[in-house]
Amino acid sequence: MMSGEEEENAAELKIGEEFLKAKCLMNCEVALILEHKYEQLQQMSDDPMNQVSQVFEKSLQYVKRFSRYKNPDAVRQVREILSRYQLAEFELCVLGNLCPETVEEAIAMVPSIKTKGRAHDDDAIERMLNDLSLIKKFE
Amino acid sequence: MFYLSLIEHTLRLPPHLLHLPVDEAIKSELETLFLDKVIAKLGLCISVYDIRSIKGGFIFPGDGASTYTVEFRLIVFRPFIGEIIVAKLKESDASGLRLSLGFFDDIYIPVHLLPTPSRFEAIPNTRNQGRWIWDFGDAEEAQSEEPRFVIDGSDPIKFRVDSVIYPSIPLEQPENSKPFAPMVITGTINYDGLGPVSWWEEAEMIQEDE
Repeated sequence: MMSGEEEENAAELKIGEEFLKAKCLMNCEVALILEHKYEQLQQMSDDPMNQVSQVFEKSLQYVKRFSRYKNPDAVRQVREILSRYQLAEFELCVLGNLCPETVEEAIAMVPSIKTKGRAHDDDAIERMLNDLSLIKKFE
Repeated sequence: MFYLSLIEHTLRLPPHLLHLPVDEAIKSELETLFLDKVIAKLGLCISVYDIRSIKGGFIFPGDGASTYTVEFRLIVFRPFIGEIIVAKLKESDASGLRLSLGFFDDIYIPVHLLPTPSRFEAIPNTRNQGRWIWDFGDAEEAQSEEPRFVIDGSDPIKFRVDSVIYPSIPLEQPENSKPFAPMVITGTINYDGLGPVSWWEEAEMIQEDE
């Protein structure tokens, strides 16, 4: 299908055979990862800003701004709680990023949770959103 | 959406890095190769997360550098169709909006994916710039001095990803053309809850009044 393009890219960056295992990350998780990396650089040199690329700096800015959860324990809890609800990885991350307050909002953001055959009736979704809102209260 | 992607890549370690410990040299070379680059279908590479294994170190005949096969994980940004993302307004003109995430700014909301009906109010003496206004509600209110649903960049904008393309690198670019964008997101804000976030905070407030 897109093999032509892949070959082109392979020629530039010389990517041989890549095997990809995608795992989705919520903005708040990326924020913790990049922040931690930034702190490591700070320990190693006097001028960490010199060491980081533009994309690193701007990404850190973005995920810090658009993370609902800052505390590492809270972040861990969000993933734990959402993992109990048989969601696909990407659904879990979209919900963790956008934090819908109502069942309608949740379905609007992630319509796939309501497809036929999945065990997500409105009550289950409501319970999930309630569990999430409890974390925010105790952050 | 951010992903952690496991990649296997074979690279040459350029001789000028040989004074560094191998893993540092390899990390440095990986960052040079991947950071801030778009790989089609993988996305925009943000950061090297970790190196899982390094194999090789062979020097091929005639080559001054050693070759390694490295298994490592990258944090990448790769939007999917239907994803809802929050962004800032970068540009607004008669063809629509251009949005930015700071680290990525090839996001376009074309006119036909703005909420309907919308109208464009050009700013005089500027080249094609202006603001978009959603004509929602009764006609009188919408035409008033300060219409309620304006897109002026004062608050973040939520959009839904409509398509993502990875154009191939052009062989030649005419002078003065826009810089090449290896990944382009087209978005829509023509749904409930999308557009400037302040539009929907107001909606909530109205409901409370009633």
